[in-house]
Amino acid sequence: MSWDYFIYFSSLSVILWTIGAVVAFRTNKRLVPTLFTVSGLIVFFLFILGMWISLERPPLRTMGETRLWYSFFLPVVGLITYERWRYKWLLSFSTLLATVFIVINIAKPDIHNKVLMPALQSPWFSPHVIIYMFSYAILGAVTLIAIYYLIKEKKLTDTNKLMEMTDNLVYVGTAFVTMGMLLGAIWAKEAWGHYWSWDPKETWAAATWISYLIYIHVRLRKGVSNRTAMIVVIISFVILQICWWGLNYLPSAQRSIHVYS
Amino acid sequence: MNKTNRTIWEHPWGYEEGFYVAIGIALSGFLLQISIGNLQLVAFQYPVNLIFGLLFIGVLLLLHFFAKKSAIVRWLSSVHATVPAIVVLLSIVIILGIVPQFVAHASPHDIPHNLSGLFGWYQMTTSWTFIFISYFTLAILGFTILKRTRRKFTWQDIGFYLNHVGLFLAFFGGMLGSADVSRLRMNVTEGSVEWRAADERENIVELPIAIQLDTFMIEEYPPKLMIVDLETGKVLPENRPVSYVFEGENKSTKLMGYNIDILSYLPNAAIMQDSLNSFAVPYHSEGATHAIKIRVSSEEMKDPVVGWVSNGSFMFPYSVVYIDKETAVAMPVQEVKKYSSHVQVFTDKGDAKEAVIEVNKPLTIDSWRIYQLSYDQSRGKYSRTSVFELVRDPWLPIVYAGIIMLLAGSFYLFIVGPKKKKS
Repeated sequence: MSWDYFIYFSSLSVILWTIGAVVAFRTNKRLVPTLFTVSGLIVFFLFILGMWISLERPPLRTMGETRLWYSFFLPVVGLITYERWRYKWLLSFSTLLATVFIVINIAKPDIHNKVLMPALQSPWFSPHVIIYMFSYAILGAVTLIAIYYLIKEKKLTDTNKLMEMTDNLVYVGTAFVTMGMLLGAIWAKEAWGHYWSWDPKETWAAATWISYLIYIHVRLRKGVSNRTAMIVVIISFVILQICWWGLNYLPSAQRSIHVYS
Repeated sequence: MNKTNRTIWEHPWGYEEGFYVAIGIALSGFLLQISIGNLQLVAFQYPVNLIFGLLFIGVLLLLHFFAKKSAIVRWLSSVHATVPAIVVLLSIVIILGIVPQFVAHASPHDIPHNLSGLFGWYQMTTSWTFIFISYFTLAILGFTILKRTRRKFTWQDIGFYLNHVGLFLAFFGGMLGSADVSRLRMNVTEGSVEWRAADERENIVELPIAIQLDTFMIEEYPPKLMIVDLETGKVLPENRPVSYVFEGENKSTKLMGYNIDILSYLPNAAIMQDSLNSFAVPYHSEGATHAIKIRVSSEEMKDPVVGWVSNGSFMFPYSVVYIDKETAVAMPVQEVKKYSSHVQVFTDKGDAKEAVIEVNKPLTIDSWRIYQLSYDQSRGKYSRTSVFELVRDPWLPIVYAGIIMLLAGSFYLFIVGPKKKKS
């Protein structure tokens, strides 16, 4: 498998996901949208698998490779929330967001080669990054909900259901952020001798984690409006973006070992 | 919002007081920072850190048992204290993430003399602002855990305890233990035994363990070819550098519109120079390098050029094939795939261990972990020196206990999710 095939696999996936999302609006039965979304996911995963085999290493090293997993996990999260809460629009939004990341990968392809520096050759590498990408997708989806809430706040009739969905997704997202961070700490101990060095990536990962903890704690008691809670969700996601790619542009990160090649 | 007729500072306190207190704590740390500068970690080494830690927990317990009716102690275990404290902590962590950080043992002369320097922001984790707000957050975390123990235990509390006790152990253990971490660097040459190492300040320390390096090995990725701008030395095209990974003889590739044919390959070569060109000949001894003979052609070029490309070694110069006055085909230094040291390690207690140490595969012996750190870069794959890092962190078990509890707690969070709200 070579990167040249990406456009074909990803286009087919986007078409399948779009059909699934559109059909979801036309019918109350979940079978057909589910089938289309799942087939899109299978096509997309076959590409990831092909890259994995031909690169002889997990495709998780470059920025574009992490975007690949992100585009894969977004429809996964969209599908789970659709099955669980029947929100049709979330399926469309997650497809749209996944498409944006696919387009970035087509327009700005990375250099893919087999080189994997010794520090990354570890059994911790794949779980650490894949868990993080999955959590980023969940937290991306919940950010869409927060934006939707803030725009439509006055017209919403049942805010409880939306808040319940937000709580659930933030809990699951934060759980995975915690796991990704701690697996990273255990790995850092094996590779670099210390579990936490305040490397800029670690610092921003801690900031992201603390920010979602603020949401969780604020929601434990009454006294903070839904609106404020949703704003915390959006701020947290902005911090997450800095952690993911924004820190490459920060003065602190010039010596980081985490800056993607 | 539940409006009450309470005025500020009247109990029970809420978020507003929380922010005043958290900012006040951070501000006192900040003032201390300006007057005395960063905490010197050396002053906090064992047993000072242990005594401080026990006192800290002692005070929490005393207040918990003997001042339980105090409105302030009760407030300290509420979300009204927690949220403001972690908002202030978050702000400080964000500054820490923006301002470039210097290592704790950096010389004061290296740290810029400006406002950030005065505020201690270049070494945030040893600044009093950070320390104050961290211990304040830890105190709130401690009180929150203690308050929960008053309730009758139900299985739903398991998630709470895993996450909160886990975080307390990892955070507290990490903060207290940071002064006791030893990180030493040791250079060992093939065939010799070494027991002296350099600490972060380059002081030589004699250790209770000795390392004998039997062999050191480096594996490299295959050589690559790329086209470089001779003036700037940059790989072309500048916005998206491309390269060709060597796959064998008699293959062809296209780089920047030039056809490149691989004519022959010498895995062990010497680079020679006559008055005009450099060329490669077979050479089977230390210092040998890779050399690839290529032919470069394109429609714009009158005649194809043929020559040897090599990245050289500590003995031989590199060699490029000139396309024109501005550009040439070159071979960058190969990326290292793996490097490992075959060692025997002895302790003063008479233990001995034989092992292969490589990146991501440290060796644990007694309370030390030995990491493969580096090698003699100037000799590359002919390095006869291996550089190890020896790390000792006596507080690690506490931190790991915390990390494992937190991992279990995050699983709980994932499976059980938030408490169902009664609407």
